[in-house]
Amino acid sequence: MKPVFKSLVAAATLAVFATGAHAQEAASLQDLLEQVKENRVSEARINQQREAEFQSARADKQALLKKAQSDLTAEQNRGERLQQQFGNNETTLNEKAAELESATGTLGEMFGVVRQAASEAYGRISTSIVSAQYPGRDDFLAEMSEESKGLPNIQELEDLWFTLQTEMTESGQVVRFTTQVVNLDGGSSEQEVVRVGTFNLVGEDGYLTYDAENELVQPLGRQPDGPLVGSAEDLVEATSGFVPFYTDPSQGAILGLLKQKATMMERYHAGGAVGYTITVMLIIGLLIGVYKLITLTITGSKIRSQLKNPGNPSSSNPLGRILKVYQENKTADAENLELKLDEAILKELPSIESGINVIKIFAAIAPLLGLLGTVLGMIETFQTITLFGTGDPRMMAGSISMALVTTAQGIIAALPLILTHSIVASRSKSIVHILDEQTAGIIAAHSEAERV
Amino acid sequence: MIYLIGLWESVREFIATGGDVLYFVAAALFLMWMLMIERYWYLKTVFPKVKKTIIRNWDDRTDTTSWYAHRIRETWISQASDDLDARMLIIRTLVAMCPLIGLLGTVTGMITVFETMATQGTSNARLMAAGISMATIPTMAGMVAALSGLFISSRLEAKVKMAKEGLVDSLPHH
Repeated sequence: MKPVFKSLVAAATLAVFATGAHAQEAASLQDLLEQVKENRVSEARINQQREAEFQSARADKQALLKKAQSDLTAEQNRGERLQQQFGNNETTLNEKAAELESATGTLGEMFGVVRQAASEAYGRISTSIVSAQYPGRDDFLAEMSEESKGLPNIQELEDLWFTLQTEMTESGQVVRFTTQVVNLDGGSSEQEVVRVGTFNLVGEDGYLTYDAENELVQPLGRQPDGPLVGSAEDLVEATSGFVPFYTDPSQGAILGLLKQKATMMERYHAGGAVGYTITVMLIIGLLIGVYKLITLTITGSKIRSQLKNPGNPSSSNPLGRILKVYQENKTADAENLELKLDEAILKELPSIESGINVIKIFAAIAPLLGLLGTVLGMIETFQTITLFGTGDPRMMAGSISMALVTTAQGIIAALPLILTHSIVASRSKSIVHILDEQTAGIIAAHSEAERV
Repeated sequence: MIYLIGLWESVREFIATGGDVLYFVAAALFLMWMLMIERYWYLKTVFPKVKKTIIRNWDDRTDTTSWYAHRIRETWISQASDDLDARMLIIRTLVAMCPLIGLLGTVTGMITVFETMATQGTSNARLMAAGISMATIPTMAGMVAALSGLFISSRLEAKVKMAKEGLVDSLPHH
């Protein structure tokens, strides 16, 4: 604000000085009059001059206007002419189009069909394993299906026919050929492979897959179970005759799914610490079971041979030891003898029955541990949900199937343990019955026989 | 013959939809029925002879009241009931195991379902249905096996008990 104001003040002072100077020039009134007169004359002259200038300029503009108007009319005329020409062209075009249509006739439809067939064939042939044997078949098909305008020529039509026919013929053949196989570790080797129709490629390492995008033959990431790979190897080694072979009718999709499936070992290890505990329990339980089965069978056979010969007790078996007690107390009365026998029997029982309950307890704990594993797995699942939400069922499903693995392991461990327990228990029961309920009778029968 | 092939085919189809656990159910069922038939056979043909021999031996005795006679009688009864009870425990165990095997099938089937979900997502219900049929069919088979065995085995147990008591009753103290 301030500088503006300052400059204004300066301008005003200058103006005052200027008028002052002027006043000084016109020293008297007379002078001033003279000066005004003079000025008027010169001004009139200047005005005349300007007027003349304006007059001449006006004439110029008039000429320009005329020219512009004539231009406009010319352009308008041209526009009309062009419009008419456009209209004429349009009618010609329509006529020509109608002419073309009538000339093409049913061929137009055929070209559409050809294009469609080409694009369909491209989709199938580029992913077909026959392309592993004859690479580059699909290039012209790609071109043919992509070009939307131009008409296919006879050569192209014949090529399409030929390609389709090749695919059809090859799909019915089992062929052997040599090709580059890219190994899973990155290297590649020249290999003889067998192609079964359009279904499977089989090489030295079992099933192969064909990567259509990169035109590579590579082994399946994980080979399927034993018999399937075995049949593939038989096929590669066979030279003639018929070979049974597992084909994948979905052209590799099922084998691909198989790759994602977990193996038995992977599933077993998914059980984690709980699974290992269950395994340890199963092994210990089975070992106890086998040990008890062997010792009980030996004891049982010894007792049976002792039963045939009660007069000659040996101390190597429980029954013999009890009979010995009788022989030592032959003279005692019946009541006393019975007490002594009971005592001897009670001494024998623990070693026969020991360990059997351990198997039973293991059989009962194993499914419970499996349940524990399931609960732990579910906790993990819910932790996954807290972290990632429920958006992706795959995330949850993985840990749920892990959780269920331990339940399965628990049941798998429990089943043989229960069976072992029942076998061992019935064995021991029959031995215990012999000792507990029959020794007295054996002794009685023996002493009766002795008396007679 | 063709009828048998058709039958076998339907069995194979059943096992294919139900999974391998069905083999275990079938094995348990087969074993259970073999043992039960054996027990029936024993009760019907062998045991009456054994019983007759024991009764004859008892009747032949002059002394049936002394301590010796009591012990000998008990021994005979114990031996006979041991023979009657043989394998009954295993039959009972097998009956109890059948639903457990079915449960195993359920769990493995569910694992299959969740595995399918883990690899394929939930979009394809058909793929999951395979696992679900593997989960439900063994359960059903286990139940049916257990039910069939449960009825017969309880009848068998009652018969064994009756046979034991019949033997005890037919050995009177003179």
